[in-house]
Amino acid sequence: MEALKLKLKQQIIEALNLQDTKPEDIDDNAPLFGEGLGLDSIDSLELMVLLERSYKIKVEDPREGRKILQSVQTMAEFIMSKQAA
Amino acid sequence: MDIKCYIQASAAISPQQSFTGDYTPQLLPLTERNLLRAQEPGYAGFIPPNSLRRMSRLLKMGLTSALQCLRNGNASVPGAIITGTGRGSLQDTEKFLHDIRTYEETALNPTPFIQSTYNSVNGLVALQQQCTDYNNTFVHRGFSFEHALLDSILQIQEGAAQSVLTGGFDEMTVEHHYIKSRIGYWKTALTQPADMLESGTQGTVAGEGSVFFLIGTAPSAVELKGMQMLYKPTPEQLSASLTQFLAQQGVAPEEIDLLVSGRNGDTRFDHFYDVAEKVLPSSVEKIHFKQYCGEYDTAGAFGMWTVTQELLSGRHKTALLYNHFYGEQHTFVLLQA
Repeated sequence: MEALKLKLKQQIIEALNLQDTKPEDIDDNAPLFGEGLGLDSIDSLELMVLLERSYKIKVEDPREGRKILQSVQTMAEFIMSKQAA
Repeated sequence: MDIKCYIQASAAISPQQSFTGDYTPQLLPLTERNLLRAQEPGYAGFIPPNSLRRMSRLLKMGLTSALQCLRNGNASVPGAIITGTGRGSLQDTEKFLHDIRTYEETALNPTPFIQSTYNSVNGLVALQQQCTDYNNTFVHRGFSFEHALLDSILQIQEGAAQSVLTGGFDEMTVEHHYIKSRIGYWKTALTQPADMLESGTQGTVAGEGSVFFLIGTAPSAVELKGMQMLYKPTPEQLSASLTQFLAQQGVAPEEIDLLVSGRNGDTRFDHFYDVAEKVLPSSVEKIHFKQYCGEYDTAGAFGMWTVTQELLSGRHKTALLYNHFYGEQHTFVLLQA
């Protein structure tokens, strides 16, 4: 799980071009949108694409996406659950 | 023109040190390929960091030059935003197309697609400046900036706007440079800008840039007297049209004291510049602006920036800009101090 979260943070930084952010700057449970990293709706689409490209997971329901993309922790849990299924 | 139009401000990102407002054109050396790359300024003072991270090169150049132009004109919200681009953001277009191929038309990022649309720069300027007025982008190859300029003049003449932010922008990527090289756009041997006009070969040197003007009715040092576009004229038609254009503007050829021409050293098309020069007295001073910015669809905007800087310097009174794009799209613009 820890390795997955670190990898996710690196992928988020690269995909969203967060130039001055390091993986250790992102708290596992901090909200990705709004207060935390301050991401917006286009970023959420980019993260959906990241899940599809890197983990072959397609999120069809936008309401589900909102829950999955709350934090690095929720993303990692979702990926683990899909990989286990 | 019924209502006089003036160049109230300008800003240029180009291969030259133009963004600071300095006008000291240099014949820059090339080492790798026939391409004059734009010198990008620092964007931090213009674009919020959270927006900057997502923008591609052309969007950053376009937005920043537009904002600098407004700052130079002490303006915030223009009456219209009208631009021209021949290719838009090539970097985003190429990324989007590569992704389509790599991921077999699935899992495509939205950002390169959004930014590859031609009117992205206009949208960004409008959003940042909260400008909800007329907003248009022309994509007509070598007539792109020129149609933006024409539309700007028409907006002012019809009383729809008192001031218009008018611009032209294009970038060159390595891949696009290669594609265009295969259809003879560039010289095959590495050719220095200092030598390109006398090279005696086909093709030219590529360039890129983003140039904006604030055009309006409030009097300023440079007046935009008129313009005319010609599509694929014969040399005879070109000569007759230039003579007629000057007569319509009430300017005798002898009154022109500066010709800024788009001569680029391509032996297939430079004869058009000879024709235009013959309409004017041989003593007229000439500046061939593509030695400084290279060839691209909206290079005419850099040409008009060059004219503006020359007129602002006080060295000239009446200047003619004549440019064409690979012998097809020809434009005259007359400006006066």
